[in-house]
Amino acid sequence: MTRQKRSHHRLKRAVAPYLYLSPSLLIIGLLMLLPMVTVIGYSFQNSAVLRRDPSFAGLKHYHAIFADPEFWASLWHTLYFTCMSVIFHMTIGMVFALMLNSDRINPTLRNILRVLYILPWLFTAVIIAVIWRLLLEPNGVVNSVLMQMGIIGSKVEWFSSTATALHAVTFANIWAGYPLFMVSLLAGLQGIPKDFYEAADIDGAKAYQKLIFITIPQLMPIIISISLLDFIWTMQVFPLIWITTGGGPIYSTEVLSTYTYKLAFSSYNLSQASASAVVILLISLGLTLFYIRYQKAR
Amino acid sequence: MAEVILENICKAYGNNFRAIDQLNLSVEDGEFLILVGPSGCGKSTALRMIAGLEDITSGSLRIGGVDVVDMPPKDRDIAMVFQSYALYPHMTVFENIAFSMRLAGKPKAERKKRVDEIAKTLQLTSLLDSKPANLSGGQRQRVAMGRAMVREPAAFLMDEPLSNLDAKLRVQMRAEITSLQKQLGVTTIYVTHDQIEAMTMGDRVAVLKGGVLQQVDTPKRLYESPVNAFVAGFIGSPSMNLFEATMTGDELMSGTFAIRLQEAAFVRRPGLRSFAGRKVVFGIRPEDLYDSSLESGRKYQTIPAKVTSIEELGSEHIVHLNIDAVRVDSGDPDAVDDFGLASNAVARFEPISAVHSGAEIRLAVDDAKFHFFDPETHLAI
Repeated sequence: MTRQKRSHHRLKRAVAPYLYLSPSLLIIGLLMLLPMVTVIGYSFQNSAVLRRDPSFAGLKHYHAIFADPEFWASLWHTLYFTCMSVIFHMTIGMVFALMLNSDRINPTLRNILRVLYILPWLFTAVIIAVIWRLLLEPNGVVNSVLMQMGIIGSKVEWFSSTATALHAVTFANIWAGYPLFMVSLLAGLQGIPKDFYEAADIDGAKAYQKLIFITIPQLMPIIISISLLDFIWTMQVFPLIWITTGGGPIYSTEVLSTYTYKLAFSSYNLSQASASAVVILLISLGLTLFYIRYQKAR
Repeated sequence: MAEVILENICKAYGNNFRAIDQLNLSVEDGEFLILVGPSGCGKSTALRMIAGLEDITSGSLRIGGVDVVDMPPKDRDIAMVFQSYALYPHMTVFENIAFSMRLAGKPKAERKKRVDEIAKTLQLTSLLDSKPANLSGGQRQRVAMGRAMVREPAAFLMDEPLSNLDAKLRVQMRAEITSLQKQLGVTTIYVTHDQIEAMTMGDRVAVLKGGVLQQVDTPKRLYESPVNAFVAGFIGSPSMNLFEATMTGDELMSGTFAIRLQEAAFVRRPGLRSFAGRKVVFGIRPEDLYDSSLESGRKYQTIPAKVTSIEELGSEHIVHLNIDAVRVDSGDPDAVDDFGLASNAVARFEPISAVHSGAEIRLAVDDAKFHFFDPETHLAI
C-alpha cells in the first residue's frame, strides 16, 4: 500500500465514527441544545421574546427570582415532593417486588398481583390526576371510607386545604411512580443466584438477615441508579400538579415547574421564567453529573 | 462421632418420578465418600437432601446419631461447598468466611482469630481484604472451603466443587482438598461426575445411576470388580470395552475369532460354566489390550483388528480399533460415542508402538483380565 493510500484509509477510519453519530447529534442539537441555549440567552435579556430588540439585563432576573419568597417556597415544595416520592417509590417498589418474587405466595395469586401492581404505570399523568381528583373529592370515595372507618371525623378537602394539598399531590405521585422501582427490583431479585440464599440457610441466616446481608447489597446498584433517575424525573413533574391543584391553594403546592410556567404564561415575564428554568436546569444537571459519575465508577 | 447414615431415602416428584430410590449409604466418621454418576443420576439431589435444601420424601437420615430429616439446614451441623462457590460478591474474603460467625453473633475478636487461622491453613491471609471478583478460580475455591471450615461442622458436603476450574488447577485442587480432608478428619461427602476425581480422592466411592445406588466400594475394588456393566463402563478412562460373545466350551466365540479362556477364569467365576452355549458379555479394559508386535504383547493370544485412529499422548497411545465383535452399551448416558462408524474398541499402547492408522494388526488380549456380565441383567458373573 502506498503512503497516500494508507493515510487515506486512516482518515476514513478516523472520520467514520463521527459520521455514524452525526444524525443523532444533529437531532439532539436541534431539539435539545438549541432551545436550552436560547432559554439561557433569554434569562439575560429584558423583555425577552416580547420585544424585537431586547436589552442585556445581566443577572437582574436571577436576583429577582432569588428575592422572591414564592421561588423559595416552590423550591422547598419541590424538594419535599421529590424526596418523599423517591423514598416511598423505593420502599413500596421493594416490598411489592419481594412479594412478587416470593415462593411462599401462590403462583396464581402472584400473577394477579403482578398485573394489579403494575396498573398505575398504564395511566398517563392526566388520567392519574383525574382519578385522584375524583377519589379525593370532599364527597369522594376516600373521605367516605375514612369516615366509615372512624379515622377522620369530617370531610377533608384534600386538594383544597393548604394543610393537606402538598401531601395529597405527593401521595398521588407516589401511587403513580412506584412500578418503575418494582419492575427494576424484581428483575434484580430474579438475577440473584439461589445459591446465595441456600448458603445463607446453611449458615443459619434468618429471613431479615438474608434481606440485609444478601438481597439489599445485591440490589444496591439498581437502587442507586433508579433513585437518582427518579429524583431527576420527579423534580420536573408538571402535569400531575397542574391538573390536580394548579400549584394552589395559596401556592401551597407550587413547585419549580408550576412556578416557572406561571411566570411565563400567566405573567408573561418570559425573562424571569427563563432564569427560573435555568435554575431547574442547573439542579438537574448537578444530579445528572452525579448519576453519570456513579455509573462510570461501577 | 459424626457418621452420616442414609436409610431407604427416597425423593419423589409429583408425577411419581423418583429422583432417588431407596438409597442406603453409611458414611463413617472421618471418611471421604464420593458420590459419582452420570448427569441426572440424582447425586446432587442426594447431597442437597442431606444438606436439608431438598425435602426427603421418605426414609431416615442421621448425622452424628441424630435424626435430621425434619431439621432445617442450619441445625444439621453440616457445611456445604457449592459448585458455583456461592461467595457473596459484595463481601470481602474475610467477611465471606466470617459470615456464619457473624450471624451467630460471635464477638469480633473471636471471628478474627478463627478466620486468621483458617486463612493461614488455606494460604488466604494476603487476600482477606479482596473481593471475590478479584480472585482467581482456585482462590475462590479455597475461600468457599474456608467458609465451610469456619463452622467446624460434623460433615462437609461438596457439590462438584472443582467443575469450574481449568484442567491443571483441578489436578492441584484435587490434591489440596484430599490432604485438607485428611488433616481435618471431617466426614466428607463429595459429589462429582468426574470419575477421575472419584478414583483419586475418595476413601470409598458410591456409584449412582437413575437414582439407584449401584455399588459402594474402595476405588480399587470398584475398578477391579465392578458389580455390573454400568459400573464397569463408567469407572475407568477410556471406558472398559464391552462386547457380546458366545461361550463354546472354554472358548469365547465372536465373529471371526475365538479366545480360549484359562481354567482359572472358571475357578474364579463358578457361574460362568452355566453360560456354555449361550451369549455372554465380556469386558476388557484398554490397558489390557496390547500391540502383539511388542515385547509386552507377545505372551497373549491375539485377535485381528483394524486401527482406525490414534491419539498420541506422549506417555501412551490411545488406539481406536475395530474388531469383529458386537459392542455392548454400558448404559452411561454421558458416554461420548467415540466409537465412530469404523471403531468399536479402545486400547492403550506403549508409545514405542509403531501401529498406524488404517493398519491391520494382531491385537494381543490378556484374557486373565476379562470381566464377564450376564447379557440380560448386565450383572457381573
